[in-house]
Amino acid sequence: MTSEVKLKNTVSNKGASKKRRHASLDKRKARAGWLFVLPFVVGFLIIYLPVIFDSIRLSFYHIKVLPGGGYTLDPVGWGNYKEALFVDPDYVQTLLTGIRQLIFDIPAIIMFSLFMAVLLNQKMAGRAVFRAIFFVPVILATGIMASIDSQNILSEYMEEEEGINTGTGQSAAAEIVTAMDISNLFRNMRFFSGMEEYVATAINNIYDIVNRSGVQMLIFLAGLQSIDPKIYESCQIDGATSWETFWKITFPMISPMILVNAVYTIIDSFTAGSNQVMQFISRVYQRPDGNVVSAAMSWMYFLIVMLIIAAVAGLMSAYVFYQRRDT
Amino acid sequence: MNSQNIEKPRVLKETKNKIRVEFERTPLLERLKVKFISMHFLVSLIWYIFRLILLIGISYIILYPFYTKIAGSFMIPDDFVNVTVRLIPTQLTLNTYKQIFIEMEYSKAFVNTLLLSGTAAIIQTFVCCFIGYGLAKFRFKGGRILLLLVILTLIVPHQTLQLSLFMNFRYFDIFGILKFLSGGATVGVAWIDNILSKIKILPFPYGLTLTNTFWPMILLSATGLAFKNGLYIFMMRQFFRGVPDELEESAYIDGSGVVRTFLTIIIPLSIPMMITVFLFAFSWQWTDSFYTNLFFTTTQTILMPKIVGIPSTLETNFAGQNLYYAAIRNTCGLMIIAPLVVLFLFCQKFLIQGIERSGITG
Repeated sequence: MTSEVKLKNTVSNKGASKKRRHASLDKRKARAGWLFVLPFVVGFLIIYLPVIFDSIRLSFYHIKVLPGGGYTLDPVGWGNYKEALFVDPDYVQTLLTGIRQLIFDIPAIIMFSLFMAVLLNQKMAGRAVFRAIFFVPVILATGIMASIDSQNILSEYMEEEEGINTGTGQSAAAEIVTAMDISNLFRNMRFFSGMEEYVATAINNIYDIVNRSGVQMLIFLAGLQSIDPKIYESCQIDGATSWETFWKITFPMISPMILVNAVYTIIDSFTAGSNQVMQFISRVYQRPDGNVVSAAMSWMYFLIVMLIIAAVAGLMSAYVFYQRRDT
Repeated sequence: MNSQNIEKPRVLKETKNKIRVEFERTPLLERLKVKFISMHFLVSLIWYIFRLILLIGISYIILYPFYTKIAGSFMIPDDFVNVTVRLIPTQLTLNTYKQIFIEMEYSKAFVNTLLLSGTAAIIQTFVCCFIGYGLAKFRFKGGRILLLLVILTLIVPHQTLQLSLFMNFRYFDIFGILKFLSGGATVGVAWIDNILSKIKILPFPYGLTLTNTFWPMILLSATGLAFKNGLYIFMMRQFFRGVPDELEESAYIDGSGVVRTFLTIIIPLSIPMMITVFLFAFSWQWTDSFYTNLFFTTTQTILMPKIVGIPSTLETNFAGQNLYYAAIRNTCGLMIIAPLVVLFLFCQKFLIQGIERSGITG
């Protein structure tokens, strides 16, 4: 009897201690986790949160920098927002064009980058070279280069003459469009007429699209390489053509990436320095007393883009296929 | 004996590692026929040519603008009014480069930018590595919210925050502590303000002025808030999620602590990824004009984006002025990215490897 009781006790004791130790390990790991993310938490609380609040708060004020090294604030309520919406002649116009451009760009960039990623994923001679070239714009055509390029008349000049044009891709592509009579082609195909314009404009902006789809292409490439080759093998054995394989295997498997890329494209193109609205806001910022108005403008812009992101993510996530995997 | 000879292929030559045998094959012509005159071959050939043309065409579109810049940078002013000169300059001149180098103080800008980008990029790489590891490998309360906050910092455009960022670093202060210690704090009640203004431990009634120094960039980098750091953190997190947990578990069982495991096992493992992030951070910081224009308001510290301009010795009034100035500005751009090109050529392999390994999968 006694021995049995003892045994029971030891068992229960063991269980309890094991449980406790487990909890403490979890806790210790959680603490370690906090240690690793500490820089971000501290920065977020000390720098970012005040900055965001300040930015929202300042958009309701007029600001005056004193010569001694301080500043005063006058509350103006919704004044800055009203000025942006109703007084400024260009803001609403720029905003509308910018958003239309954004909605136009997303499908073009995603389709292009997916296509190129599939191409660059295939085995062929010189793949490394092409990959390196496609990656050039990500590194080199950013920041100051983008702002130099956005008002560059040199490359336009270089392509003026027939035969040696192309530069930004514009005139040559436009010529090809006229030569091939793409609009006629589409009319005969009886697509709806918007399609024809869309394709023609997309080809005209090919340089822009190539430049802006670098990161997306790499995200797609990474996604393509994470697909199990076994699936393709079994497809091949079952006699599927590559066209079928693309739509039945690659496309569903890559669809989470399409969502990621759509969101990234929206973020990237609306925060880019070459974005019209952003340039407009920067110009307003330089104006005397324009800094607060520009804050109000960019907050409105941010809200609208957040709405677009939410709409796109909501719409697409209904169609995204997630491979069940045990994590 | 005879039958044996027919069954076995005749050995022509045999060495240690190689063996050459003679056996009957279908004639070469037949084999070629089967191989090349078939639908499969035709389709793959057409596809191959199509793909090659497409890739070369798009590479051309990418590289052409760089070529126009390079060509323009060597041209003399007369070439811009000469209709017969387009892509190839009549005589190569290095004058544009020389004048920019001297007048825009390129070497100073180079050193300054190298210092700034180098420090910022190194700090960013390590900090993003930490944060990404913390978010990927540890389950703790608020981890998901933190990830969302990281993505939020990526989404909010910096232009939205430029005014308050500037104000924050122009009058830098942590929760008003500096202000309080320097007697600049006010609460709106006269007698308390009076007492508060007596405290004069530190001489900064308006906070520290950190603009025109490297401190804003260093602080932002050290807290993972600088340009596109959200993206780096996300990339790092995705990478670390792909690293098997067993690796760390075995280290823990062997008695290694969390930090030691991270430093001795995880960091060496993630070097390609870190190089990728470093390259991104370095080159995006290098060409960044937003932060440099925001935080460096005076001309004391010359940074790369500031050298874009027209050197006074090259100013002209002739007909091709606009074009010439555009060419000069492009030359400035070329000189800015030249060091990056060198860096890119060296690290290109790591870059693509690292990104492929990041496996950004949902």
